[in-house]
Amino acid sequence: MSTLNALVFSNGIEGIEQLYRSDPGVQYDFLTLGPDHPHDFTAYDLLIAPNGTDHVALYQMRREIAEFLEEGKTLFCFDGWFTDWVPGNRWVMDNSQKSKEVRYHIKDDPFELRRHFRIEDLNFSHGISGWWACGYIEPGPGAITVLVDTWKRPLLVIDAQSTNGLMVLTASGPLGNSSYATTDDAKAHQAMAGLYQGLIQFVKQMNVLSV
Amino acid sequence: MKKPKIGLIFNGVWSQYAFAKAPKYRKHYELLYIHELEAQHVNTLEALVIPFQSNQAAIAKRQSLIYDFLAAGKKVFVEGDSSAHWLDATWEDRPVNNYWWVKNPEHPPVSKTDYSHPLFRGLKPRHAFWHYHGVYTRIPQAARAIQVNQEKEVITWETGQYGGTLLVTTLDPIVEHGVQQITHLDHFCDQLTEWLVGIRPRGKFVVKPEDYGVAWA
Repeated sequence: MSTLNALVFSNGIEGIEQLYRSDPGVQYDFLTLGPDHPHDFTAYDLLIAPNGTDHVALYQMRREIAEFLEEGKTLFCFDGWFTDWVPGNRWVMDNSQKSKEVRYHIKDDPFELRRHFRIEDLNFSHGISGWWACGYIEPGPGAITVLVDTWKRPLLVIDAQSTNGLMVLTASGPLGNSSYATTDDAKAHQAMAGLYQGLIQFVKQMNVLSV
Repeated sequence: MKKPKIGLIFNGVWSQYAFAKAPKYRKHYELLYIHELEAQHVNTLEALVIPFQSNQAAIAKRQSLIYDFLAAGKKVFVEGDSSAHWLDATWEDRPVNNYWWVKNPEHPPVSKTDYSHPLFRGLKPRHAFWHYHGVYTRIPQAARAIQVNQEKEVITWETGQYGGTLLVTTLDPIVEHGVQQITHLDHFCDQLTEWLVGIRPRGKFVVKPEDYGVAWA
């Protein structure tokens, strides 16, 4: 597969287009969520729910998203989905731990995503820890937990079991080509963008294998 | 149980939801989903809050609802970015400096705050400012600046020209308190609630796990 066709859910938030810019590998379209939801995802290989997504709208669209996944396609959710629209997985907000105690660790990495970023660079933005993710994920059975926090709570999960498709989920950790307002620390930014590129390459490999 | 007096206009963003669902605030704030919002939903409310990461275009479609609310003598608080088509002001983006307190703690980006305003009265400087999302380079003629940055650009302003009180800031207390990475925002948000409706919330910000992974009617 030479080009992934991706659809980014837009919530009308300032700067969203800067996060995902089309290149020869990925063509991005943006769907601004609103009161009317015409949902024809057949032209797309990948749906992206970025930081700041409308989880009321996506809950209302959950059946279409489930059908999209059943076609063997891919969902990225880089936000805290407080409504139950992500099949088989749950995100839970939590404030019981202090940000300064948070460290990210690689747990299981069968797809060698670590080749694309340095975990030590993701850990700090301008020397501040705990900046990237919020809360934790309760993964579906058989899902792979790639990243965990200090208390071994899942922060990045790849789930190829809950549906016929592939889900890449973060505990609200933003991922994209660029960062709008989350960090401008060069190393943290590179880690975030590198991990995103690694995931894009992984999805393209998976799509080739499934053809 | 009494109905909340503050409407929190929300576009499905989790941090807005987390704030309004926290037991400390849920009795005061009612989530109003922007795409279903009608005038009848705000008639009994005393104040409206429009948080950071709002859908500005969707709000612009309900501009008359907000200005009618103000015309009734009520309060509207607007936070965060507002590249809006519904405010008589000009917002411009700026880099978000959320690390000044590590790099240069003696020189915060905000240089001046009017602590005589009831929203800021009694707050310590570290409780009155953490970071901002852009600035206003133009505010309505009858408005007054309450908070400015080192470059004298406006961070917070207020006007009574629409009947009630419209207070606009590029701070993001509601969203940032929902995120819970800054641990001292109770001070600002409690003061905000008291300024809006005369009630000061008490207690700690608690997250209830059962509020997550929910169905939505």
